[in-house]
Amino acid sequence: MTPAYHFDWGVVFANIGGLAKGLEITLEVALVGMAVALLLGLPVAIARLGRFRLLSWLANVYTQVLRGVPLFVFLFWVYYGIAALLSIALKPFTAATLALGLTGSAYMAEVYRGGLQAIDPGQREAALAMGLNRAQAFRSVILPQAARIILPPTVNVFVGLLKGATFVSVIGVADMFYLAQIVSLRTFTPFELYSVAGLVLVAVTTAVAGFVFVLERRLSRGRVAI
Amino acid sequence: MLLGGFRLAMLIALAAIVLAVLAGLVVALMRLSPWAPLRWIAFVYTQLFRGIALYVLIIWVYFGLAVAAGVNVAPIPAGILTLALLNSGYLSETFRAGILAVDRGQREAATALGLTPVQSFRSVIAPQAMRVVLPATGNQLVDAIKDSAILSVIGVPELLHETQRLAQFYFRPFEFYTIAGGMYLVAVFVVSFLFRILERRLAHESPVRMPRGRLFGWRGVFPGTPTPGDIEPTR
Repeated sequence: MTPAYHFDWGVVFANIGGLAKGLEITLEVALVGMAVALLLGLPVAIARLGRFRLLSWLANVYTQVLRGVPLFVFLFWVYYGIAALLSIALKPFTAATLALGLTGSAYMAEVYRGGLQAIDPGQREAALAMGLNRAQAFRSVILPQAARIILPPTVNVFVGLLKGATFVSVIGVADMFYLAQIVSLRTFTPFELYSVAGLVLVAVTTAVAGFVFVLERRLSRGRVAI
Repeated sequence: MLLGGFRLAMLIALAAIVLAVLAGLVVALMRLSPWAPLRWIAFVYTQLFRGIALYVLIIWVYFGLAVAAGVNVAPIPAGILTLALLNSGYLSETFRAGILAVDRGQREAATALGLTPVQSFRSVIAPQAMRVVLPATGNQLVDAIKDSAILSVIGVPELLHETQRLAQFYFRPFEFYTIAGGMYLVAVFVVSFLFRILERRLAHESPVRMPRGRLFGWRGVFPGTPTPGDIEPTR
């Protein structure tokens, strides 16, 4: 047995500002990563579904490789590996958003693909028959219908990225855990700081996950079986 | 050394999934129980462990709780337990959906034949539900393999931990991390492939025709890709 642990919750209040800043950074990493994933995922999905065999094959390899490698490993690969290969120093924040964004884009590509494939081919045929060109048909007929199907799994991808954003302190992003680690080395109060950081992150992730739960129920209620 | 880490990562993931299957089954049965408090406990359990991030839990358990309680937990058991808890949350939903997917008439027929509830579950419901939940369980094992990398933060000498050590020692981060990524990819590929074979075997024996996924090619082998055999947990 180690000597009895002295609880000191004062340390949490003393560092409340730093903890809040840490949470903000975690959310920022997740949101910027999600933005990259949303932007990058769509062209990958379109390439995957497109007529060009080579592009389609490349898009497939891209999604499968990025989804097969653990995000945790990919993070190290980007931060240490790429930096060493190109001899550039990436900022931890940049590396974290890049890793999250690229992995997220592979998951989003699959989500977009599922949504686009779920739209009846007749819709596109009708749009083309009415004289819309292919880009118009995609933008104003197919995409709006696919958006509805895409929404719940998109929030699920965000939950995944949010969970991924909890461990970016391993490459030195100054989030709540980073602060907890530094302060508890000085004050020896790991339980208090890690508990608060952990509980806040659990609250955030379960809240968003709960939102998906409600969203899925809502959307499935209105759906008509075809 | 990399191979040693790789083997440990596989063993940890496998042990965690075996435990998670057992716990997930209990929680799934609790959620289907006629007694409301049991259902609520199971619901909270599922939502909690599906919502929590592995990194948060492992850090809290290992650096927070253990220090405060003054207990020494070895990294490997702590890691296996944490992985098992998280995966059991997901698997309980899968199992619940699988049990519900078995036609009601099957249970009624079993009861009419004089089987007790336990007998009917064991020899009528469970074998049929197993075929339904197999693909999702395989995906969960794949996730556990990928998640096991996170255990490096508490000093479990698994693949990523060994990679970090070697990358620092030789100062060749790009090469080592690329190899580690490739090893995870191969593991994921092989496990998915084995589960697909298993799925086909079971589909052969089944009196009910099961949809068949592709055995070869990227699409069928990799995890997470929607295949006809996959099921969505119904709510």
